[in-house]
Amino acid sequence: MSGIARGRLTEERKAWRKNHPHGFVAKPETLPDGTVNLMVWHCIIPGKPGTDWEGGFYPLTLHFSEDYPSKPPKCKFPQGFFHPNVYPSGTVCLSILNEDSGWRPAITVKQILVGIQDLLDQPNPADPAQTEGYHLFIQDVTEYKKRVRQQAKQYPSLI
Amino acid sequence: MDFGEDRDSSVDFDGDSDNDIDFEDADVGFDTQDKDIKPRKKAFEVDFHVHSPQDIQGQQDKQVEEVSNILGQPLEATAILLRYSRWNKERLIEQYMEKQDEVLDKAGLGQDVARPPRLQVINGFMCDICCDDSRGMQTFAMKCNHRFCVDCYRQYLVQKIKDEGEAARIRCPGEGCNQIVDSKSVALLLSTDLMNSCRYQELLTRTYVDDKDNLKWCPAPNCVYAVDCGVKQKDLHRIVPTVHCDCGHNFCFGCTLLDHQPTPCPLVRRWLKKCEDDSETANWISANTKECPRCRSTIEKNGGCNHMTCRKCKHEFCWMCMGVWSEHGTSWYNCNRYEEKSGHDARDAQAKSRASLERYLHYYNRYANHEQSAKLDKDIYLKTEKKMTQLQSSSGMSWIEVQFLDNASQALQQCRQTLKWTYAFAYYLARNNLTEIFEDNQKDLEMAVENLSEMFEKSTDQLAALKVEMMDKTTYCTKRRIILLDDTAENLKNGNWKFNVELV
Repeated sequence: MSGIARGRLTEERKAWRKNHPHGFVAKPETLPDGTVNLMVWHCIIPGKPGTDWEGGFYPLTLHFSEDYPSKPPKCKFPQGFFHPNVYPSGTVCLSILNEDSGWRPAITVKQILVGIQDLLDQPNPADPAQTEGYHLFIQDVTEYKKRVRQQAKQYPSLI
Repeated sequence: MDFGEDRDSSVDFDGDSDNDIDFEDADVGFDTQDKDIKPRKKAFEVDFHVHSPQDIQGQQDKQVEEVSNILGQPLEATAILLRYSRWNKERLIEQYMEKQDEVLDKAGLGQDVARPPRLQVINGFMCDICCDDSRGMQTFAMKCNHRFCVDCYRQYLVQKIKDEGEAARIRCPGEGCNQIVDSKSVALLLSTDLMNSCRYQELLTRTYVDDKDNLKWCPAPNCVYAVDCGVKQKDLHRIVPTVHCDCGHNFCFGCTLLDHQPTPCPLVRRWLKKCEDDSETANWISANTKECPRCRSTIEKNGGCNHMTCRKCKHEFCWMCMGVWSEHGTSWYNCNRYEEKSGHDARDAQAKSRASLERYLHYYNRYANHEQSAKLDKDIYLKTEKKMTQLQSSSGMSWIEVQFLDNASQALQQCRQTLKWTYAFAYYLARNNLTEIFEDNQKDLEMAVENLSEMFEKSTDQLAALKVEMMDKTTYCTKRRIILLDDTAENLKNGNWKFNVELV
């Protein structure tokens, strides 16, 4: 599959423009000289309505490698993002994004983004990636929820 | 119908020794005599059998075929089912008969009856991986109907097999699909050359051995054999199952480390961990520090006078005599008060707390020493090989006649390996009569080994004259080693040893 990364990403982009889930944004980075870099996508994931994450529009960056779709893209929230399964660097820890467990070449950008949206309100305590979020989630749910709602306010809609 | 392949084979291995058979053949009714001659299996020996890759492949094929007949599933599907049940045939058949659909589903086979896998061209198809939608493109899907173009499928398989070393449990490239790609589909998608180059078949055989508790690969580099041994993990505190691969490598079947008789695996693990963690640190602490006589903090003195003030408990004492500083009066910087009481008591306490450290170092140093000597003996042997050739030309001995050097060298290394581990063993032994017998045995072996080792260093012209003595010593060493191992293993089996740690 080497060398097909760009072709596949072009098609992903086309498919996304045709149809994508409401409130989500996903588009390849535009460089200062105006050219498009297909290998980095800037996305926005809306918090699910009816959860503490509602109202937040969380920026996420996808970094694709030339090995895509053999290898999954690296998905990053801003540094210090509050969530039990997000590393301090912002990298998301999710089974479908791990090439040794759940990643399959047929997984699309849309599926990744929806998967991460689900993860926001359903953290996986078996796979903690940061101490703060994990400890609060386990030990102090009230404080955890408060922090989540605070964070939602930090990321208001840009539109 | 024979479900008991495992049991069958273990019966075979019980009577493994060639000698057994020879003596049985020669048996003409002299029962008592026969018993006397027949080599008794020693307490430290276990039954095992070495298999070549062909044997393993054969065993695997035979079982697949057998179960395939019973279940009425094609061979490649049966192989997946057997791997799913970790080659426990009885359980698989039982479960399959009870809830067929569930077993098939869990094993990653889907529910409908298998059709031979084939490539298809489908009009208007676009591959979800590469997004190619060219006409006439060959595509493939398993029963799960996740269809991708042949190129993507192939690339996916190659990556899984080559990069990740996966073979038995490759899942469909479709999202969240648990279907396992069977060997027939792999064969259809990959050319024979490709399959050979990424060692698909080898990897499949590997999982067979990895899945079965009674099989282990020989850990020696480049060795292709697997060893079959019936010793269970739960028995490892009672027996040390050293096995000898046909490649010449002796290893422990329990933990696959190099032969560590007489020490049982749980103690070996503990010991190695302790050595890794402690030995250098302990050595350094022992050599460079003292403890505060009041709070036992470890203190390194890196300069200054003998008037110490413990940073932790503020106790003031003299570094030389370890006594209280206030009793020193004005004789600062120069302590000559060795016999005073406070200093004496402090040193006593210090000695006690250091004793356990010293005890560990005692055993560790001997352990490490034998390890080192074994290496040196090996070097000497390599030189001896040259000596053997020289000896042949100078003394007129034949190649066969100089083999005693080779025998001596091998005995030496084997004995050193054993001796090394006797020290780890002794470290964990509680003191009693048995321990004293053990230490006597250890001492005997050690003396014999050092004697033999010394002879090895003699010059070539002396070696010829020493031949008989050396052969005697070699036999003696080997015998002492067997006595020690036999005695230790016997007591281990009967749970006679008292250890100062839990055997877990």
